[in-house]
Amino acid sequence: MMGSNNKQVSAELRPVGNASVDATMFAMAFDASPTPMVVTDPRLADNPIVWVNDAFLNLTGYARAELQGRNCRLLQGPDSDPRTVDAIRDAMRRQAPVEVELCNYRKDGSSFWNAMTISPVRNDAGELIYYYAAQADMTGKHALELALQGTNDELERQVHEQTADLRAALEEKTALLHEVDHRVKNNLQVISSLVLLKARRTPQGEARDALQGMAERIGALSMVHRMLYSAGDVSRFNLEEFADDFMSDLTAGIDPARTAVTAEIDPISLPAAIAAPLALMLHELATNAVRHAFPDDREGRVSISARRCDTGLRLLIEDDGIGRKAAPPNPAGFGCSLVEMVVKQLRGVITWHEPGAGTRVEIVIPLHAESSRPGTTAPREVALGQAG
Amino acid sequence: MSGGDGLRILVVEDEALIALELQCLLEDLGYVIAGVASSSAEAIELGRATAPDIALVDIHLIDGPTGIEVARMLSRDPRTSVVFMTANDKRIPADFAGALGVIAKPYSERAVAGALRYVATIRAGGQPVSDGSDGFRPASQDVAEDAYWARKPGAGPGP
Repeated sequence: MMGSNNKQVSAELRPVGNASVDATMFAMAFDASPTPMVVTDPRLADNPIVWVNDAFLNLTGYARAELQGRNCRLLQGPDSDPRTVDAIRDAMRRQAPVEVELCNYRKDGSSFWNAMTISPVRNDAGELIYYYAAQADMTGKHALELALQGTNDELERQVHEQTADLRAALEEKTALLHEVDHRVKNNLQVISSLVLLKARRTPQGEARDALQGMAERIGALSMVHRMLYSAGDVSRFNLEEFADDFMSDLTAGIDPARTAVTAEIDPISLPAAIAAPLALMLHELATNAVRHAFPDDREGRVSISARRCDTGLRLLIEDDGIGRKAAPPNPAGFGCSLVEMVVKQLRGVITWHEPGAGTRVEIVIPLHAESSRPGTTAPREVALGQAG
Repeated sequence: MSGGDGLRILVVEDEALIALELQCLLEDLGYVIAGVASSSAEAIELGRATAPDIALVDIHLIDGPTGIEVARMLSRDPRTSVVFMTANDKRIPADFAGALGVIAKPYSERAVAGALRYVATIRAGGQPVSDGSDGFRPASQDVAEDAYWARKPGAGPGP
């Protein structure tokens, strides 16, 4: 049944409308096509090439005579992927169409990427009589893909490199922050020790009191620095936490039966930048009240409150002592001007009330709308220009 | 001021001014200075020679951040209770290297006095109460908010 007469294909030509077509016209069209094409005959031994067009010869570099009786595998070479070759073989065994891209070789040994569509051709009886394959040279596309892949790999490498650099830089900065924090605290300790040592060697009196007072002011600043950076957020400062410790220090040396000190401090989160001046101010006012409002075993009370208000933070320090005018002017003098300087720095407003007995100081410090809300990362500067 | 009951304290501090002022403060509080060391070798040697009741140990000494090792060595002697005194408590390991707690620098007189009362109570076999000041943190206190610290569930102060 394999005789050459069986290859006579009596396929029906199916023209569009009444157009006149014949088999010769197809041969001419296929021969002239720029798409490389090949036809093989699977009924002959080793499925040899039986027809190619000129485009195929141009692509592969072979002459028609050289292809006579040859199987298409003559185009394969060392870089032809055996898995792709298997895929073609498998499709042919099943007599099924297949589309693959395979690395092929020209006659001169140069390689090219061959994208081919192989289709079985059957006669009227449904028998397989030919394989038809159209080819396309994909070498340019493959080169582009490789270049893109290379670019992607390079970009990825650069991103990895930069990420590693940034991470290292961040670690360095964090270590530096801890180092600076450590040095600031250590220096505060040295300064405090220095002043206290001098105070110890100074005879009792005004000079010694002044030195002691300075050591206490440094102590108030130190308390702030112990609290800054101790928790996660380095830009915020919790006033309530500070007040707890501050109150312990304030009441440490006084007799609770004689002087009652109360504090109502809201848990307000403040920008770290205003922590130190605020602490200094609170220290001055509270210490002044406790120390100077109640001379000669006079009994009384001191109340401190810090509340959020419409415009920011409202501080109130009250005592029912002898009042400011009655107190000896010297020790309180510096404390008061210190407080006024700090309030000015914070763009706040201070009001001194003298309600007959005692002293009542009210301070309002403007804050950014979001700066007293815990958990937000507000700018480190206090709001300007809302008051004063 | 008194109340130190003559407990002997070794001060391990490389900053001379801080060490000197601390000595004065401790004497005011009624304690006795067993010695002052500024390096790890000196601290370990003085610890061995004097067997102090309490050692106040800074972490950064003349020879580097060796205070941790000093605390470990000194606390091996059951006669000595160790308390860190540092501005860099992030370096303290989870087990506190045998120390009972840490006084944060810059410290206040109240924090130092409170810490020493706490240690004295433990040494006397009592139930210590920390006054909750931020200036002194006992070793048993869990600190969860800082990633540098490993939690120590149920780890009480040492002997």
